[in-house]
Amino acid sequence: MMLQAKGISKSFGGVRAVQNVSIAVPANSIFALIGPNGAGKSTLLNLLSGLYQPDAGSLHFEEQNLIGLPAHRRVRLGMARTFQKIRLFKQLTLLENVLAGFHIHHDTPFWKYLVHGNTGRFREEARELLAFVGLEARSGERAGALPYGKQRMLEIARALATRPRLFMLDEPAAGLNAAEVEFLLQRLEEIGRRGATVIVVEHNMDLVMSVAHRVFVMDHGEPLFEGTPREVQSNPAVIAAYLGGEFAS
Amino acid sequence: MSARRIYFVVSILVLAALPWLIATPYWRGILVLCAMNVLLALSLNLVLGYTGQLNLGQSAFFGIGAYVSTVLIKSYGWNFWLAALVAVGAAGLLGLALAAFAVRLRGHYLAIASLGFAVITYQVLVNWEKVTQGVRGIYGIMPPVASTPALFYLVAGIAVLVYVLIDNLVRSPIGETLRAIREDEVSAASLGINAALWKAFAFGIGAAIAGVAGCFYPGFVGTLVPDAFNIIESFTMLAMVIVGGMGTMVGPVVGAIVLTFLPELLRGFGELRLMIYGLALTLVVLFMPGGMVQAWMALRARMR
Repeated sequence: MMLQAKGISKSFGGVRAVQNVSIAVPANSIFALIGPNGAGKSTLLNLLSGLYQPDAGSLHFEEQNLIGLPAHRRVRLGMARTFQKIRLFKQLTLLENVLAGFHIHHDTPFWKYLVHGNTGRFREEARELLAFVGLEARSGERAGALPYGKQRMLEIARALATRPRLFMLDEPAAGLNAAEVEFLLQRLEEIGRRGATVIVVEHNMDLVMSVAHRVFVMDHGEPLFEGTPREVQSNPAVIAAYLGGEFAS
Repeated sequence: MSARRIYFVVSILVLAALPWLIATPYWRGILVLCAMNVLLALSLNLVLGYTGQLNLGQSAFFGIGAYVSTVLIKSYGWNFWLAALVAVGAAGLLGLALAAFAVRLRGHYLAIASLGFAVITYQVLVNWEKVTQGVRGIYGIMPPVASTPALFYLVAGIAVLVYVLIDNLVRSPIGETLRAIREDEVSAASLGINAALWKAFAFGIGAAIAGVAGCFYPGFVGTLVPDAFNIIESFTMLAMVIVGGMGTMVGPVVGAIVLTFLPELLRGFGELRLMIYGLALTLVVLFMPGGMVQAWMALRARMR
């Protein structure tokens, strides 16, 4: 297993956001986390990426224990993520945003930079990543000036610059139009083909059903069901959670 | 690139000519002061402008540089350069120490913590009379070079060197890292950036540079009293960085020059001087929110 969580829980005050959740994400798979609003999907992703530490449970990335490891250290293991509420470096250009993503791959001591200044390293790779998300023509623009959908794609390019083996996306299709969702879907499949494992939190069912190999359903912070997209679609408990209790019977 | 070189060479020529163009001893002294202020503004800009941390403790590091070097020279008979080296190191290490406590704080909290550090340092300078002579001050301090033009060349030369080094640093991947922290710390962490470490780095370097300016100040004035490192000085540096344009290399230099010469040029107004100075500051901040450098670039863009 690439990523394994066993019985992890997280509460905020009295609210149990995630309760006793266990997931196992196999390598080279696209793993979707779905569930109604407030189901705890984003909290779970924040626990996996290290933004929060769980109150209980164990968490492993390959053989590495992740408990207590801060977010920035997890990136060095090969884990990257995007955010539900877009968090770009708005005042910086598109190229600068992606270049910042190469941080962990720099190995030059700082005093050499005092003398040499910019070495232009990773610039070519950064441009390729911008091209990968269809933004190469706008590399000199300020990130904050991009339309919403393009900002999401830029965040993906920036996270890819860390060269993740496990890539976690928090609602990447939120606010995208149909054409943009189609492009995103194609890019996610390509990322998977290139060997990265993908965990995607998503509301857009069309996207989940066409891209995911496994789907994990949460409701009220608890695991509800796990299976293939087809199994999820026909599961009565999942349908009930999405449509409301009165349809359950 | 070649335009940058031309600007650089012209700036060096202007610096070289300045002590000859300005012949009165008083104004030559202002030139030295201006070079020190440029160093201080550059040091604060690295922390505030590039890393986005509101550090109001910069006057303390300026003071530590001044007192450590002077005490080593006057009380222990050290050579100026050796004393300066230790003083700069001391300022840098104290910057790291402050950062170790303060990097987990953000915005207002960091501002208050660093301000507290400046107040404590000032109180130590006033009350540790055995070493600092307190408010009575230390007298008869000699500058490292005899004439005022020579002192100007020395401090301005160091300021140019510091400018070039910081300019290289902020255009390197480290600059990208620092700006990423300034823009969004959570996002920076998601890219593997250890924000606490890099903020401490910026604090330490910024403090060391302020310490460099501190080494030259006592010899220039000839006496050393704690009041020169009152917390007001932190706000003067802040004004230089903001008025010039933080997060740019040229901005703080322009800010330091303007805010060094403006009060002097306004001396003719007598009692109205500080009022006009305050009004000018307010107007610049109100109508040029990005500072003078950004206003100039916007103006040039409109002319085209």
